[in-house]
Amino acid sequence: MKTNRREFVKAGLVGGIGIGLGFPAFLRRAYAAEPIKIGLPAALSGGYAQYGVQAKRACELYAKEVKARGGILGRPLEFIYEDTAGDPATAVRKAQKLVEKDGVKFLTGVALSSEALAVSAKCPEWKVIFMSTINGAGALTAKSWNRYFFRVNTSGPMGARAVSLYLIESPMKKFFALGSDYAWGRDSVGSFDKLITSAGKEIVGKDYPPVGTKDFASYVTKVRQSGAQGCYLALPGQDATIFFKQAYQFGLTREVKPIMEIVELENIKAVGDAMVGTIGGSRYPFTLDTPRNREFVKRFHETYNMYPDMFDGETYEGVDWLAQVIQKVGGDDVEKVIEAWEDSPYEGLEGSFFMRKCDHQAVQPGFVVEAVKDPKYPHPIPKIVATYPGDKVTPKCRTEDFA
Amino acid sequence: MSILIEQLLNAAALSALLFLVSVGLSLVFGILRVVNFAHGVFYMLGAYFSFTAVALSGRFWLSLVAVPVVVGLFGALLESSTLRFIYRRPPIYQLLLTFGIALILEEGVRLVYGPTAKPMDPPAALQGAISVAGITYPRYRLFLIGLGIVVALGIWLLLKRTRAGLVIRAVAQNSEMADCLGADVQRVRTLVFGFACALAGLGGVAAAPMTSAYLGMGISVIVDAFVVVVVGGLGSIGGSMAGSLIVGAAQTWGGFYFSETAMVIMYAVMGAILIFRPQGLFGEEE
Amino acid sequence: MTGARRSVALATLLLVVAALPWVLARYQLSILTELFIFGLLALSLDLIMGYTGMVSFGHAAYFGLGAYGSALLLINFAVPVPVALLGGALLAGVVAVPVGYISTRATGIYFAMLTLAFAQLLYTIAFKWRDLTGGSDGIAGVPKTSLWWNGPSLASPTAYYYLVAVCLVLALGLCRGLVRSPFGRALQAIRENERKFAVLGQDPRRFKLAVFVIAAVFAGLAGALFAPFRGFASPEVMFWVLSGQALMMVIVGGIGTLVGPIVGAMAFLLIQEVLSSYTEAWMIFTGAIFVLMVIFLPGGLVGAFLTWMEGRKSLARGGA
Repeated sequence: MKTNRREFVKAGLVGGIGIGLGFPAFLRRAYAAEPIKIGLPAALSGGYAQYGVQAKRACELYAKEVKARGGILGRPLEFIYEDTAGDPATAVRKAQKLVEKDGVKFLTGVALSSEALAVSAKCPEWKVIFMSTINGAGALTAKSWNRYFFRVNTSGPMGARAVSLYLIESPMKKFFALGSDYAWGRDSVGSFDKLITSAGKEIVGKDYPPVGTKDFASYVTKVRQSGAQGCYLALPGQDATIFFKQAYQFGLTREVKPIMEIVELENIKAVGDAMVGTIGGSRYPFTLDTPRNREFVKRFHETYNMYPDMFDGETYEGVDWLAQVIQKVGGDDVEKVIEAWEDSPYEGLEGSFFMRKCDHQAVQPGFVVEAVKDPKYPHPIPKIVATYPGDKVTPKCRTEDFA
Repeated sequence: MSILIEQLLNAAALSALLFLVSVGLSLVFGILRVVNFAHGVFYMLGAYFSFTAVALSGRFWLSLVAVPVVVGLFGALLESSTLRFIYRRPPIYQLLLTFGIALILEEGVRLVYGPTAKPMDPPAALQGAISVAGITYPRYRLFLIGLGIVVALGIWLLLKRTRAGLVIRAVAQNSEMADCLGADVQRVRTLVFGFACALAGLGGVAAAPMTSAYLGMGISVIVDAFVVVVVGGLGSIGGSMAGSLIVGAAQTWGGFYFSETAMVIMYAVMGAILIFRPQGLFGEEE
Repeated sequence: MTGARRSVALATLLLVVAALPWVLARYQLSILTELFIFGLLALSLDLIMGYTGMVSFGHAAYFGLGAYGSALLLINFAVPVPVALLGGALLAGVVAVPVGYISTRATGIYFAMLTLAFAQLLYTIAFKWRDLTGGSDGIAGVPKTSLWWNGPSLASPTAYYYLVAVCLVLALGLCRGLVRSPFGRALQAIRENERKFAVLGQDPRRFKLAVFVIAAVFAGLAGALFAPFRGFASPEVMFWVLSGQALMMVIVGGIGTLVGPIVGAMAFLLIQEVLSSYTEAWMIFTGAIFVLMVIFLPGGLVGAFLTWMEGRKSLARGGA
């Protein structure tokens, strides 16, 4: 009798699966013209949600603008969002759904490098383009590169390079480096170490607090005791916020100059005035004073009542560039888009971009900013203190090394 | 020398925070024989509610007193509406129930407050650093140490010197007998659970100015709290204190000297204690 | 039910499973394959939870070990998939021996805490040992190779589905055989009353260790199937969150029924998949469903179903 029940249950379940998976399809409205679809398997929940949310925001703004223009090539531009919760397995699953079920040909908005590596590895199989607008891992355009991967954003090594170039000019000689104990943190500190020591400066100490550390007291003590003049920090979002608050209470931020690989608006808003004086790299500083960018910031502020953070800007530029390439090609054929995108230029919010053919890394200017107080804004802002041209900050093809 | 003093104070502040969180967990196990997976989430609720309270009223001291009460009431409500139905079942069900509750509450906070961290500053009186024993040390951490000591004393007094404490201890030792002797066992359970949640909430309120309120703070603290409670012994207040001191010291000095392997050391310590003295340093044999 | 009818029912069931690739779309088949993989994980957990009464919070660690084992073999040596499966499952089993030996010295909640501690330890090692495991980035680009050297490729979704289905069915058969054997009865006796079992002259720890390792091997097999399927292995597959989800699958499906956890895995993942497309609050609904089941349906879906069938049977017979 037991086997019969099992069969019943399994058969019923299979029917349930079929209905459950097919159901949403019944609810889809039919489009007049075949839309151009871009899928975003983004981290919209969990510890890294602030990055996925930025990607989504930028795309929603762009979608509105495109809609007002009448679409691309007369076709509507559709963004489909899925939540990966910052987990690579879920990211691949959602990406697969976007590709196989929703028929997207372009994936973007992936927040974590671990997710990006996993999804990118599948793109040759799926024959879709993965455009990174957030992921910094050097390996994505080096060891783990494949021709379906395009990186529009400034990578981690590029960010560290810009910061080191700036520090080479500065009078500070001794640095401490603190990187979160995972891929990005370690790679960033490694890049910084290599670049700064080759310029004749000294790293007096290095440490790697575990991801999610909530008490940095002993690290603060260590930095204090090391005699460093500047402290390089590669800590992700929340960890950086906590570190700054605690370091400020100890008075460390007044004794030692904080330097970050990326100075995020989210951090500045969370930490507040305690972060004033921090210098570091920025993938996209909203304070950039070009007419195009001022326009964008105004539109963004009107829509969301806040100023665009780094990945808002980078993602906007990415989808805009992709849309332009699609327009040029006359359709969303993946192979044609790849061909047209390689070795092509783009005028973005940050300046001129060039998509290298050899590793699909967009060569772009690198920025170093300082967090300063400005009465016009409700929080400190990233003021640009140095700009480096793209060819000085972009590593050699398919590597993470610089000339 | 100054490093030593600074590290000692660092360890003490961390231990105080750990104690606030783990003593509730230990109490709930000792008296209700339930491992509350959602304990960390009440800690997070304390931090977030405090953020709201301070944003609305601008008064930290008020929220220090009021928020734990709110969190405690909320916990008591949860206990009486879900947990009380499954006390007679095998312990795994209570574990899973609290796990499910933790999931729901964590998501609820995310939906209401959003995914980004909520920053908080210490109240004006506790800002900055003062000179103590030759070093400059943050006032707020010294306050934490003091708070931990006060709470520890308070709980000890409550359990050992008051009538209510007597009833609680009786229920812990033998709930059926206590029931026969007239104690309202279910009410004791609800009260203790609520009290433990209030303590976790207090931990959250105390931690927020240092770490800011963020999602996932419940999960990261519960792992530490479990280690403390296992090391010290489930159900023992003195054990929680000892455990907090040990884990706080291990994290502080381990973080200083071997930050790469600090986590591993912590788990090794926990594993070793579980093997050689599975009931923890002060716990009772199962 | 007679032996003949039972065989017919079984054959029909297997035919249904075999015919599905022709009925389902490519994406749906992928989802089903993944459900089967997690069903295998939940099944392995039920061995120790449902039959021996040992609650493990660290079971995902063996899933993870299996995944890393097969990923490394496939990426570095391009072995046929079954070899990678063997490698992954063996790795999980080998690690489970010392962990199990130490953990089974404790019981109840302390056992659970120990399994959690060990799982966290393994997770930390996977996270930190970048040279071997790729650290937090994990190992990407794991290929689905072939059935044997120079044999048919397993790259197509249909082929891989069959591989997974075969593994699941075999595992289920083996586990059923195990719990019906004298070994299995000993396990249940241990769950009922461990002290009595010990008094009768046998060493419960040896049995507990044995079943712990067997469960780890099956979990490792599931992980080894997962890595080429998703194309990567990362520390998250060892994280306690997955262990917690596996526990939920077992409970939702029906603890102690073997089939239940498979059903539970499928139900659990399906609910997540469908809900997350509709609402951002899907995790709250999943949690709420789970909590309600724990309170009102402790036997899980299959348990409740079986009870209902028993009730109908006794009614048909004219009352208990």
